[in-house]
Amino acid sequence: MVLNSTELGLRVSQARQRAGLTQAELSQAIGVNRSVLAKMENGSRRLTALELAQVAEALGERIEWFVEDTPPAIVSHRNVTDPGEPSPRIDAEVERRVRAVEFVARNDTEFRDKVRRPPEFPLPGSREEADKLAREARELLGVGQSEPLHDLGTKVIRAGLLPFIVNLGRDAADAASVLLDAGAVAVVNGGLRVGRRRLSLAHELGHVLVADDYTVDWRIDGSTNRGFHEQLMDQFARSLLLPDISLEENWDVCGGNTENGLRTAAVRVASHFRVDMSTLARRLRELELISGAQAAQVRTTRTTKADIVEHDLVSSDELPKKPLPRVYEAAVLRLFTSEKISEERALDLLMGTWETAELPELPKLNESAIWQFVS
Amino acid sequence: MSEPPVDELVLDTGPLSHLAEAGWLGVLRTVAAPRAVVITDAVEHELRQGSHSRPHLQQVLNAEWTKKHSLVSGTEIASFAHFSEFLVSGSRNVGECSVLAYAQAHKATAVIDDRAARHLAQDAGIACQGTLGLLCEAIRAGLLTTAMVGSLADHLIETKYHLPFLPGGFEAWANEHGIISPNEN
Repeated sequence: MVLNSTELGLRVSQARQRAGLTQAELSQAIGVNRSVLAKMENGSRRLTALELAQVAEALGERIEWFVEDTPPAIVSHRNVTDPGEPSPRIDAEVERRVRAVEFVARNDTEFRDKVRRPPEFPLPGSREEADKLAREARELLGVGQSEPLHDLGTKVIRAGLLPFIVNLGRDAADAASVLLDAGAVAVVNGGLRVGRRRLSLAHELGHVLVADDYTVDWRIDGSTNRGFHEQLMDQFARSLLLPDISLEENWDVCGGNTENGLRTAAVRVASHFRVDMSTLARRLRELELISGAQAAQVRTTRTTKADIVEHDLVSSDELPKKPLPRVYEAAVLRLFTSEKISEERALDLLMGTWETAELPELPKLNESAIWQFVS
Repeated sequence: MSEPPVDELVLDTGPLSHLAEAGWLGVLRTVAAPRAVVITDAVEHELRQGSHSRPHLQQVLNAEWTKKHSLVSGTEIASFAHFSEFLVSGSRNVGECSVLAYAQAHKATAVIDDRAARHLAQDAGIACQGTLGLLCEAIRAGLLTTAMVGSLADHLIETKYHLPFLPGGFEAWANEHGIISPNEN
């Protein structure tokens, strides 16, 4: 808890720099002289509650963030990024969700009981170990070893991982994840196609299972300069979505090994497991089910409207419809209907994905509450 | 250094606005006496913002008998931040949080209509009242009639109150429950 003016001023200064604003810009936004803001930041002039509220709003942070202890994972992540540099947008989005989840967990017992992380798994040191971790993860998520892993966004909650979909645009990070005291939060870029989104979420699940405390992934499964640890997480993600035995079987059944059957097999298998073509190509290649030339062919295959009709494919879009995990939404609604939080805060915790009119009705006052009103 | 408890009413923007609109600021002064009526800087800011479109708010800003207060001490700020976590979004409900923080730090009575804020007050052991409670006090003190308050109660029902009577039903309901009988505690 920050109570002295020097520490509070320092936090204002850091938040301003993270938001990429100059003192002149912030002082203008809150309607004070730049010299006054400079004094606030160096602690020689105290901020009033009203000024703090205005600073928070101008910087897109919450009032309590300036005063409360920052979650340890966020502190350590900030320490490795350049001080004074504006944060990438994904960091701000991640922080908002981490703090929201922690707030909800502190105030809603049912949510706290539902979202628990499993014991930490050992770090895989080889491809085989990454495959083994994928099998253990399937067990944890309650999925058989050969079935396609559908509805991943709901299933990862069994591992204590809460997935949030945020549209960060094309040139942003793919995903990020943070461990919390209870559970973990993943943010997946909604600007990615559904197959890539699933791969990204699977990759973040890997990070959570081996207890990596804060990870931002810019190019999942990219071939450029990926460290060994990231490569193993990529391997884990592919293996989780495309388990070797059933992939081989499906590939064969769909005619992947017949002459001229490659394209149709790629379309049908990618749809069955709901992965993108480049993930499928890579996995088939590493299991030595196809040649390098065939992998290139799979990678460039595009599923067409005709394919969907001819092969009766399910074109389900499972992740984008759920920007927030259901278990989290339910907890926010409970806090709202029990009147622990205001309507405005409820909508804020729902990250702007709900309208006021969609919130449930508040219960009628009971007799004793009425007396409080009029006594 | 702990301050001795003071006997004060600290009012949220909503109650002040309702009272000013009904032309009852003077009533507020009388009902509050001998307690001081406190207006925090955040509430003052909200009144000022609203006064462009709602001229009656200017009366509150001009009322010299109120005590203006800026929250600035470590205790006040910590308390303000705590309540913000439950109520604030952007600039919404900042005034309300400042009222709760003032009431907690100075052991004053908060006058707030919003239900979530009242729950927070209750949990924090802060004395809390609503606009209707103040007005019932005014009826008991013989300053306002039940009929006058009834019309304001109708207005409250439209906003933050969900009361067990329909518009126009305050008087019957209040009589039935003995709320405005001078013998009631």
